[in-house]
Amino acid sequence: ADTKMDRKDKLFVINEVCEIKNCNKCIFFEAKKKQDLYMWLSNAPQGPSAKFLVQNIHTLAELKMTGNCLRGSRPLLSFDPTFDKEPHYALLKELFIQIFSTPQYHPKSQPFVDHVFTFTVTDKRIWFRNYQIIEEDASLVEIGPRFVLNLIKIFQGSFGGPTLYENPYYQSPNTHRRLIRLSVAAKFREKQQVKEAQKIKKNESRMLVKDDFTETVFETPAEEKPVEVQLVKPEPKATVKDKRKPRKTQRKKQKKLFR
Amino acid sequence: DGLKRSLGDLRRQLAWVERLDVTLGPVAAAADGASHSPGEGHSASHKEAVDPENDFQREMSFYRQAQAAVLEALPRLHKLQVPTRRPDDYFAEMAKSDQQMQKIRQKLKSKQEAMEKTEKAKQLRALRKYGKKVQTEILQKRQKEKKSMLNAVKKYQKGLSDKLDFLDEGQTSSQGNKKGSGSQRVKKGPNAKRRYKNQKFGFGGKKKGSKWNTKESFNDVSSFKGKVAHNKGPRKAGKKALNKRPGKRARQKMKSRAR
Repeated sequence: ADTKMDRKDKLFVINEVCEIKNCNKCIFFEAKKKQDLYMWLSNAPQGPSAKFLVQNIHTLAELKMTGNCLRGSRPLLSFDPTFDKEPHYALLKELFIQIFSTPQYHPKSQPFVDHVFTFTVTDKRIWFRNYQIIEEDASLVEIGPRFVLNLIKIFQGSFGGPTLYENPYYQSPNTHRRLIRLSVAAKFREKQQVKEAQKIKKNESRMLVKDDFTETVFETPAEEKPVEVQLVKPEPKATVKDKRKPRKTQRKKQKKLFR
Repeated sequence: DGLKRSLGDLRRQLAWVERLDVTLGPVAAAADGASHSPGEGHSASHKEAVDPENDFQREMSFYRQAQAAVLEALPRLHKLQVPTRRPDDYFAEMAKSDQQMQKIRQKLKSKQEAMEKTEKAKQLRALRKYGKKVQTEILQKRQKEKKSMLNAVKKYQKGLSDKLDFLDEGQTSSQGNKKGSGSQRVKKGPNAKRRYKNQKFGFGGKKKGSKWNTKESFNDVSSFKGKVAHNKGPRKAGKKALNKRPGKRARQKMKSRAR
């Protein structure tokens, strides 16, 4: 039966599992909240260990990565020169080498070297890629998987012990999400504030102008006329005919002639 | 220094062939180090800072780093007699199952087919457009030929040209030109006035509206000869006995006087 680990157990039980299985290196994956994946790399009995946050994961099932390699073949490991510049990177490099490379005559390994792992430090993170070597002139095709490791801490012991190094650029995913939410909220609040300020400005801007009496000096109100109410219908006016104006029919005739 | 101590503890002196790691920058200039330590290439030429946001650039830098590593490691492996090429008859379990590779191949094929289809459709559309253009041109040419042929026939009918060249025109136009003016031309033929009218109104009977006076034709007085109109010019070889018939009024007077 497999040795299983309970959720409630502390991490150091992994060391015991390793001892039972006669392993001295361990990679432990931990998924939290169904959202964040953490990876522990450790040298089991007493060596150092490191915890990473894994991001940008693309698995072997991706159809865009067309390469393939023998299962169990030995990998070539390629590192960025940055790994030699800092002590913590150097330690990580040694850890990677010891974990990911395959000893030469291992019984479960294939004798060919046909793929390359690359570890690159970019943007304060470690990027991992896996390529298949097709030709001797170094034409490569990506096999996958690919992921990005964000270093959190390096410990002196395996899965515990004093902290040797803490990554100052690391931001836990929770704080990251929180910051995003806060920024969105802040944007919204700012919009609200701007709107309110505009409203207040609008109401204030009506300045009370003092009455200028020189404008009204010459105004004289009109005299009041008595209101006359007519009770009797007025007589119809006598219409005076204009005898010089020809009759309607005549007018029409004249019009026609003019045409 | 805790890190350094830990690193010192962790390090194991193993032959390079056990570890197969290469540290190189992406620029393929590799300077070889000692045999124990991993192939340390100092990236002599400065690497332009790869912008991690620019996906293509980033992936290309990873690819080039892997290439550099491969180019450096393969010769060393060959020297150490570690095989790197898998013989064609060596079948073993691969990292990706055959099913997965089938899926990948299918996807690639379908993508290629889709692209080819769009290409073909585009070409067909262009061809159709061109074909339509050519067809209209041919039809127009035919109509023009028909018209000119009919004109030539009518000309011959009117007696303007007694060559029957137009029959052969379609076939041997160049030869017809060479034969050219075999028979002499009848210079006079119809009158100048008749020729002008033929040219203006052509053959083939009435054409609607072709005999209207236009502004230009009305204002055109080039064919007015003053001496002819006023009977003043030199009489060419005494035409008919000039019938100077008196006008109507003079005739009536003569009649009444005679009575």
